This record gives sequence, C-alpha cells and structure tokens, in this order.
Amino acid sequence: MTTYEFQARPDNATPWAVRSNRTNAVLTLASIIPAALSYFIGSAFALPGAVTLLVVFLPIQIVAGIFATGITKGAHRIADAVLAIVISFAVFMVAILLGSLLFSVIKNGIGTLTVPFLSQNNVYISSTTSMDYGGAAHAVLGSVLIVGLTTIVTVPLGIAVAVFLTETDSKLTGLVRFITQSMSGLPSIVSGLFVYAAFVLTGIADQAGWLGSLALMFLMLPTVSRMAEEVLKLVPGDIRNAALALGAPRRSAFMQVILPAARTGIITATLLGLARVIGETAPLIVTTIPGNETNANLFFGPISTLPTYIYKFVSDISETSQHRAWGAALELLIIVGILFAAARILGKQKVK
Amino acid sequence: MENTTMNSEFAGSLAGRSHLESRNINVWFGQRHVLADVSLTFIENSVTALIGPSGCGKSTFIRTLNRMHELIPNAGLAGEVLLDGENIYTPETDPVDVRLRVGMVFQKPNPFPTMTIRGNVLSGLRLSGKSSKNEDDLVEECLTRASLWNEVKDRLDAPAGSLSGGQQQRLCIGRSLALKPSILLMDEPCSALDPGSTLRIEDTIRELSRSMTIVIVTHNMQQAQRIADQTAFFLADESQPGHVVEFGLTRDLFTVPNDPRTEDYVNGRFG
Repeated sequence: MTTYEFQARPDNATPWAVRSNRTNAVLTLASIIPAALSYFIGSAFALPGAVTLLVVFLPIQIVAGIFATGITKGAHRIADAVLAIVISFAVFMVAILLGSLLFSVIKNGIGTLTVPFLSQNNVYISSTTSMDYGGAAHAVLGSVLIVGLTTIVTVPLGIAVAVFLTETDSKLTGLVRFITQSMSGLPSIVSGLFVYAAFVLTGIADQAGWLGSLALMFLMLPTVSRMAEEVLKLVPGDIRNAALALGAPRRSAFMQVILPAARTGIITATLLGLARVIGETAPLIVTTIPGNETNANLFFGPISTLPTYIYKFVSDISETSQHRAWGAALELLIIVGILFAAARILGKQKVK
Repeated sequence: MENTTMNSEFAGSLAGRSHLESRNINVWFGQRHVLADVSLTFIENSVTALIGPSGCGKSTFIRTLNRMHELIPNAGLAGEVLLDGENIYTPETDPVDVRLRVGMVFQKPNPFPTMTIRGNVLSGLRLSGKSSKNEDDLVEECLTRASLWNEVKDRLDAPAGSLSGGQQQRLCIGRSLALKPSILLMDEPCSALDPGSTLRIEDTIRELSRSMTIVIVTHNMQQAQRIADQTAFFLADESQPGHVVEFGLTRDLFTVPNDPRTEDYVNGRFG
C-alpha cells in the first residue's frame, strides 16, 4: 500500500503565474513606450498635463496594449486588455484627484494645527491677529453638537423608515419610497431656506443651533433610510423565516436576528449620512448665526461650525485668514477620518 | 428487514391519538388554486412523509400546519388545521403560539449567523422573551437530541457559521427542540446534505419520533421508506391543483399502492 506524507509547499507552486521571457519583454515595452512617447509629444507641443494624459497617453497605451495582448495571448483576449487599460486609467485618475486633494489640505493646514488653534475660539480675532492667538475650537464644538443632534434624531427615524419599507407589506410603501428618493435630491440650500422660512421668518424661533440640526435632518434622513433599506433587504429571508418559525413575534425577530445581521451595513449607512451633512455649509449659514464665542447651547445664540468657519475665513484674503481656513478644513478631514475608523471598528461582526 | 418490523410495530399504534389534523385544506396564491382538499391525520409520535414531484404543493401544505403559509404575499387558504383538536385558523389564535408548539426545520440550513452555537439553541427562548433556569442543561439536552452535542461541546461559543452544512442543519433541529414543541415540521431537511449527514439526520428523526410527531417533506423515496410510518403522495398537473392521491402506511404505499399513479411514481416511472 502506498503511503503519503505531508509536504511543505514549494516556492513555485503557482505555475499559472509564470511568464515566458518573451511575454515579459513585450509587456515591459508596452508599459514603457507609451509613457515615454507621450512625454515627448507632450513636451514638444507644450500640452497641459491633463490633456497629454487623456488625449495622447490613453490612446497610445490602448494601441500598445492591443498589440502586446495580440502577440502574447492571442486576438481573443484583446477586448479584456482594452477594458483593463481603460479601467486602470480611470482608477489612476480618481486616485490622483483624491490624493492631490488630501495632499493640498494637509500641506496647507498642518502648519495651522497649533495648540492655540485647537483650543481657542475666535473672540477678538481679526485678519491682522497673529496665528499665535485664536482658533476653531468653538467651531469643532458647534459642529459636533449640531451634527450630533441631527444624528441622534435621524438615525432611529431613518431605520424606522427602512423597517417600514422592508418589513411591512403596507400599501403606502411605494409612496414613502418615492418621497425618500425625491428627498435625497433636495438641494441643501433649499432645506436651509425652508427651515428659515418656517421658523425664523414666522417669528417662531430665532436662528440657533437646533434649526441647523433640523435643516441637516432633511438631508441626512434619505441617505440613512435608503442605505438601511438596502442592507435590510440583503438579510436572507431564510433567517427571517427561521426566527418567525421559532414563534418569535415580529418585533423580537427584527431586534434580535435581522438588525444584528444588518449591523455593519446600518453603521455604514449612519456614517454615510454623517459624512453627507458634516461638511454642509449652505443650510447652516441661513439657519444659524456663525459666532466667534464658544457656545454649547443649541437653543440660543450664535453658534459656529467648521464649515461656516471655513466659509467665513476663506472669503477673507489676508494670509492668516487663509491659514485658519486651511487648518479648519484639515480638522474637518481628520474628524471624518476618525468617524470612518470608528465605524470600521464598531462594524466588525461580533458573535454572541 | 428492519424497516418492515418497524412498520409492523407501528401498524397497531397508528390507531393512536390524532395529534394534528388537516381538514379540507385549500390554498391559493393570488387567483391560482394550488392545493385542493388536503385532509391528513398525523398520529402522535409518528413520522409522516409527504412525497411527490416538485410543484405539487407539499412544501406549501407543510407551511399551512404552523401558519408560516400566511407570510407569503397573496397567499389564501380555506379549511381547518386541528392542533390537539383546536383549529389554528380561528381569528382568536395567535400564530406565534402555534409556531411555538409546532417547530419547523427548513430545506437550507439557516442558523442565525450573528449568534454562537449556544446562542442559536437558546434563540427560540430569547426571541419569545422566555428564559430558562438551566440554560447549560437545555443546550446540552437539545444538542444531544439533535445528535450534535459530541461534535460541538468544546466550542459552544464558536459562530454557528463555522459548522459544516450537515452540522448546521442538526443545529437548526436542536434550535427547534429548545422550545419543546410537540410537533416538528421538516421541509426537505436533507436535500442540501451529503449521504453521511443525511443518515445522521434520519437517525435523529427516528430518535425524536419516540417523543414527538414529525411531518417531513422529502424527494428521496428511500428516505421516506427508511423513516416514515405513514406517507402521503401529492400530485398536481395542468388540469387540477395539487392534491393527495394516496395516504396510508408507508409499507403499503410503496409495496401495494391503490392508485396506478402512485405505483408509477414510487417505482420511478415518472417524476
């Protein structure tokens, strides 16, 4: 009888990844020639970089890819190669856009993030005040409070709407879905002006933080409810049936089985909603008075937020004001980054 | 043969107490009549197999027995299902109570993915807001009855998804048992499983049938012969909705069927 022993995996256990020298040579040429050629053409005609990339490099690279694939793999793989080149190019462009945005915010903002900037407010600060004084701490506090209130109200509401749309067979679901979809296209300034007209112009309330939260709710609700609806729909019907067949009332089936299964997605939905509103400027400009002093009262007085702070300083051409605007922009980015990281950690599937 | 003696033993006891009974069950989906006049009597502590080609209404019928049927949009029903002599389709009956007394195991293993093995067994209690003093004992008892205890006793806190398909199905059986139902409905519980797991589940079913009534839908006629005391043969065609062609002791139905269509089906001449 033959016996078999366990063997260590050899180094070259992926024979499908081995390329012939000829293939390697062709692929190397197909990668170098278009880039070099575009560089020379771009320099010769003094074309802007973006034009060179799009009009010169991309067509040449596609042609080179067609030849290289035709030689190494055969004509039937050419369509794949063209698609791969176009997609990689698009990914590359998006990565550059995002990278340059992050880079410029960090480069211009990092110098501003000093202890006074992070800890002080804007009282008695003018465009000639040195950067040693004044900061955006009051704006961070205002943003956290306003967006916090928005989130606390909107997330349960959004989930409730999603539950209504997925778990019930009411005749109204079509109407409700249509309304949420329409709401997701609502321009943010309209939401702000609506709240302004409904509360401030009628004299019901003065401009204050909570009106800002209210305006943001209209923007956050459709994002949260539509995303939550999508993730609730993804929960397999098998599991729902299993819970009901165990004699669970619908409420327990939802709370203990369906919601936990959709937990990661619900957290993502919340986060996308937050990301949607945390940078909103227009509704806050009309519903709140962006103040200079620290104000933790959402129901009275001027209250500043990071977007309105940035808006205020970016409109001022003095150098220190520009620095302050960049610094606040970086703070906003960092806050969004922290939120995303937190969601990743919270969203990890836990099994009880 | 072991099967033969088993059936002979039961032939006498089948005169026992009727536990669950359907009376003239008719089912519609929208305007389409899919099941006509199904009247079956399930005897306490016996196994009843429902066989028949796909689309003949077996699964639809089994779902009427614990009121899971009504969860399908456009579903309609006429007739009665008597559980211990009481119709479960009266306006006063809470479907939740019915489902607590009539457990169900589905075709595809469907343990709760966000819960541990232990959590799955206890989920029935948690979901219906009950608690048990000796949860550990209950978990052990249910998993033992579902023939899973020895394989998982050292990793009760592992996610249910880490089990193999056959183990997941036995976990689903164990999960149903925690509520101590007197009836267990099984909708093709072995169709997604390999022969080894299938045999283990069949052993489990035989073992469970000492203390509870089991109704099982199966496409596997050998399986029906191995485990069922009585068998009902369902059929549907273009001209008529699904109905019961023949219902009787498994041994009789497979060896001396009354209806030629039953004979053709059990001998593999169609379906």
